[in-house]
Amino acid sequence: MLAIDAAAYRSPWRRLHPAVKGIFCGGLLVCALALPAWPGAALTAAVVLAAAFGPAGVPPRAFARAAWVPLGFILTGAVTLLVSVGGPDGAVAWDPDGWQRAAEICGRASAALLCQLLFAFSTPLAELLPRLTRIGLPSALVEIIALIYRMLFVTLDTARRIGLGQAGRLGYTSRRAWIRSVGALGATLFIRSYDRARRMQRGLECRGYTGDLRVLVESLPLRAGQVLAAAAPPLLVASTALGYGVLL
Amino acid sequence: MHIAEGFLPPAHAAAWTAAAAPFVIHGVRSLTQAVRANPDAKLLLGASGAFCFVLSALKIPSVTGSCSHPTGVGLGAILFRPPVMAALGTITLLFQALLLAHGGLTTLGANVFSMAVVGPWVAYGVYRLVRALTGALPETTSLGLAVFCGASLASLGTYTVTSLQLALAFPDAQSGVPGAFAKFGAVFSVTQIPLAIIEGLITVVIVRLLITASRSDLLRLGILRADAAATEPADGKAV
Repeated sequence: MLAIDAAAYRSPWRRLHPAVKGIFCGGLLVCALALPAWPGAALTAAVVLAAAFGPAGVPPRAFARAAWVPLGFILTGAVTLLVSVGGPDGAVAWDPDGWQRAAEICGRASAALLCQLLFAFSTPLAELLPRLTRIGLPSALVEIIALIYRMLFVTLDTARRIGLGQAGRLGYTSRRAWIRSVGALGATLFIRSYDRARRMQRGLECRGYTGDLRVLVESLPLRAGQVLAAAAPPLLVASTALGYGVLL
Repeated sequence: MHIAEGFLPPAHAAAWTAAAAPFVIHGVRSLTQAVRANPDAKLLLGASGAFCFVLSALKIPSVTGSCSHPTGVGLGAILFRPPVMAALGTITLLFQALLLAHGGLTTLGANVFSMAVVGPWVAYGVYRLVRALTGALPETTSLGLAVFCGASLASLGTYTVTSLQLALAFPDAQSGVPGAFAKFGAVFSVTQIPLAIIEGLITVVIVRLLITASRSDLLRLGILRADAAATEPADGKAV
C-alpha cells in the first residue's frame, strides 16, 4: 500500500465526511495562496501543522517523507529567483530583492503544500472517488477513475515483485542493465495488466455483468456543526492576517 | 517534473487550467464514447490508467547516484493516442497529487497542460513523422527510431513547457520572461536532459519486447502495420 493512503485509512478523521475536510483544507489553501505571505502563509502553516499532529493524528515521519520531494522542487525553483540574468551587471548577477521574492514564494508554496498533504493524509481516495459524481463529473468517467484506483495496487505490487526478481538476478548492477530491466519491467507490466483486465472481464461476464460496477459506499453524515467547525479556522486565519495588515 | 502545490500564483494556475480544459474534455468525451461503444473497453482502460501511473512511479538512474521518475507520457501517447492520454494523464496526475504528493491540486491544470497535453501530442507527432520518414527502413528499425525520438522529445517538451510556465509566473527582474526561462531551464536541465535520453531508450526496450510478446495487442492498438506483422514471423520469446 502507498504510505499516504495507508495513513489516511488509520486517520482519526477518516469518519468525517470528505466535504468537511475539503472545506477545512481548501479554506486554508485559499488563505495560503490569497493572503499576503507574511503573516498569512506562516499562520496557515502553523494551523495546518497543529491540526495534522494534534487532532488528525498524522504520523510525523510519513508526513515528512511525503513532503520531502515537493519541498525540494519548491527550494530549487526559488533558488533561481535569487539571481537575475542579462542585466547591466553581467550575465548572471545577484538580485538584491531576490531573496524577498524567494522567501515569499517558499512560504506560500510550503503552506499550500501542507494543506494538500493534510487532506491526502486524512481522506482515503476510495471514499472520495464515488462522491465525485456529485460535483458533476460523468458517471462513466468516475467509474473508470475508481477502476484505475482499484487496479493500481495490484499493478504496483506486480511491479514491485518483478523488480525484486530482477534485482535478485543482478538486473540493476550497471546503468545499462538498469535500462534493460526497467524496459522489461514496463513491457511485462503492460502484458500482465491487459491479461488481468481480460480475465477479470470474463469473470464479471460469468457473474452477469451488464456494464455497471456497483460498490458499497459507506454513508457518512454531513453535519452542520462539523461544517461550521471546519470553516472557522480558515476564516479566523484570514481575519487575523488581514487585521494584522490593517494595523501595521 | 511536477509543479508543486501553491507554487504558481492563483491567476496563472487558473489560466493554465482553462488552457488544458478543452483537451481534457475532448479526451474524456472520447473515453466515454469508447466505453459506450464497447463496454469491454472499460476494464482495459482501467488497466491502461493503472499502467500509466505505475510507469511514472518506476525509478531510473538519472545523474550519478540519484534516481528519477520517467514521465511515461511518450509510451502512453504512442499506445493509447493523445486524446485518451489527456484523460488518463489527468487521472494519473490527480492520483500522483493525492497519493504521492507529486504535483498539486491548484497546479493540476498547469501540470496537465505540460504532461498530459503537450507531451503526448509532441510524442505522437514526432512518432508519426519519423515513422513516415523512415518508411523504407525495416519495420523494427523504423519503429525503434520513431519510438526513441517520440519518447525523448515528449520528455523534453514537457520540461520546456514547465520551464515556460514557471518563467511566465516569475519573470526575471532584469530580462523578463526570456531570462527567467533560461534560468529555470538551466536549473532543471541537469536532471531532465539525461532523463529524456534514458526514457527514450527504456521506451524502445519496452516496445521491442512488446512486439515479440504481445503482437496482437500492438496490432489492435494500431502500432504495428498489419502487412509488416504478416510478413515478419512471430517468435514467441518470453519476456
